[in-house]
Amino acid sequence: MKRSIVAAAGPFLLALSLFPSPAFPLLYIDINAPGGKRMPIAVADVVVDPGDPSLSRGIPKILSDDLVLTELFDLVPPTAHMESVTAAHFSGKPLSFPGWKMIGAEAVVIGNVSARGDRLSVEMRLYDATQGTLLLAKRYTGTPAQLRSIVHRFANEIVYTFTGVRGVFGTEIAFTARSGKSKGKELYIVGMDGQDLRKVTDNRSFNLFPRWSPDGQWLAYTSFRTGTPSVYLRNVSTGAEKEVIRFGGSKAPGGFSPDGVWLYAGVSQAGNSDIYRVRVVGGAMEKVAEGWGLEVSPSLSPDGKRIAFVSDRGGSPQIYVKAIGVAGETRISNGAGYATSPSWSPAGDRIAYTARSGGRFIVATVAPDGTGSREVASAADGDCEDPSFSPDGRSLVYTYRKRDYSALKIISLDGRRQRTLVSGLGDVGSPAWSPGR
Amino acid sequence: MKGTRSWKWAVLVLSIAALVSVGCAKKQTVKSEGAQGAAPAPGVVTEAPVKAPPPAPVTVAPPPEAAPGVAVTEEKLSQFDDVRFDFDKSEVRGDGRKTCGVVADYLKKHPQAKMQIEGHCDERGTAEYNMALGERRATAVMTYLVSLGVPKAALSTVSFGKEKPLDPGHDEGAWAKNRRAHFVLK
Repeated sequence: MKRSIVAAAGPFLLALSLFPSPAFPLLYIDINAPGGKRMPIAVADVVVDPGDPSLSRGIPKILSDDLVLTELFDLVPPTAHMESVTAAHFSGKPLSFPGWKMIGAEAVVIGNVSARGDRLSVEMRLYDATQGTLLLAKRYTGTPAQLRSIVHRFANEIVYTFTGVRGVFGTEIAFTARSGKSKGKELYIVGMDGQDLRKVTDNRSFNLFPRWSPDGQWLAYTSFRTGTPSVYLRNVSTGAEKEVIRFGGSKAPGGFSPDGVWLYAGVSQAGNSDIYRVRVVGGAMEKVAEGWGLEVSPSLSPDGKRIAFVSDRGGSPQIYVKAIGVAGETRISNGAGYATSPSWSPAGDRIAYTARSGGRFIVATVAPDGTGSREVASAADGDCEDPSFSPDGRSLVYTYRKRDYSALKIISLDGRRQRTLVSGLGDVGSPAWSPGR
Repeated sequence: MKGTRSWKWAVLVLSIAALVSVGCAKKQTVKSEGAQGAAPAPGVVTEAPVKAPPPAPVTVAPPPEAAPGVAVTEEKLSQFDDVRFDFDKSEVRGDGRKTCGVVADYLKKHPQAKMQIEGHCDERGTAEYNMALGERRATAVMTYLVSLGVPKAALSTVSFGKEKPLDPGHDEGAWAKNRRAHFVLK
């Protein structure tokens, strides 16, 4: 079993001597090894010439916050830095690596920013301080408003260099919230680091069940804005929308096929909900799974060949897995009297879901064959529901609810580390993590 | 207006994000020089770096007129009682049948009337499942009314799942009120 961690778990084994040969991938940090040491890293002040001098500290701040969030790194505080990085270090002058090693850094990040009009050119470099070798160098250009996105990209590169798994900075979580006196629920999007919160819909009806398209450009969701529910696709960049499912009564999108061609949804007709899929272009609709009970919440396997979904055909809602286009289904949730909201992991090896346990709702994961079920998130005083996998498969975002309080939380798959992503926004729910960027 | 402004702002940010994703892909021109050749060092560093504090979660202050998270409830008043249901069930109970009888008598006396049956659930469980369960409850009531002689054309259903609780409380008393079919004359 994988004991991976999160954008929030640590400490980690520093597998420095495990891969002595360059023939192996360059993995400094074993994310599957619990209880190890973190990578000590120094993020130097960035050289700014010419441009906004506040970037000198501003860029390292964004990058440092990202690296801290992974819990894979320990930051060497800037007050300990002894060497001033200058433009000369980007044109051949070597860094004084013994000095960086002396203050405990095993890796050093330096950066150089120049501005021409409204265009920034950002060069970032990552060094192995113990060997004095360059590990990674990238140059980005963009506007000052794109700076956070640029730094997130480099943070993802750093994580990839040390772990072999791309980071998730710059990804986002879509969710629903009923705030203040609003009668309805609106869709919101927030960055995985808790920044850049924004409202997506503003029509004061119920806007529910947001689901990302595989390219991250569209959200499928159910809206009651005409008085009856329809499923819409909304382009998150332009705000353009189109209605994709009007057929039937209640309806909720579950997920897209990996190629983005099909949208899977639970749709009720004559009071009985079944699983359908609709062509995003053209609108052709076909039934995928049906039964005497309610069939809802389809989640696609990463290869697009199977769905996990909820059915109450056995008397209570449980999770089933089915190969698309093949007769027969396998129940994979066992023991809980109530199991809903499956979310298939990006690697395909786990399915997260909500289970009722001792009168409370908890988040658990299980293998697609129904074996190896284990609890991830629970609370003695409230409910944990609606899990959605991060694109690197190392964490889940879920809803925590206690009476009138609700929050979105992010937890490592082993349940050991968690943080609050959104709170104080009223009644929040249905979080969906965007694909990788 | 605030909502419109924040929406436009969101579109602006999204547009910029889309631009940067296009812009950056072409510009990553500095090649990695050492990634293949650097062997990890066996040396052990013993100094303890200072940990930075974790970032604070986003906390948005709610508008002053409402307590955070308390659902504001509102629904069209009905001259008919709600039909109530057991947890995770959609069978019309004895008390609900009595109510349905009153509704059926009214609709038979007023053949021009159109009735929408709203299906609702309590707050427990997943929103999607409850949305389908509410539809099944509303349909169960509709089917029962039809069995009492109400023309199907006079009836329609809509499910609000757990989104429109009648009672915002969090105990069995509130939940029992919220698991209901609600009659609205159109």
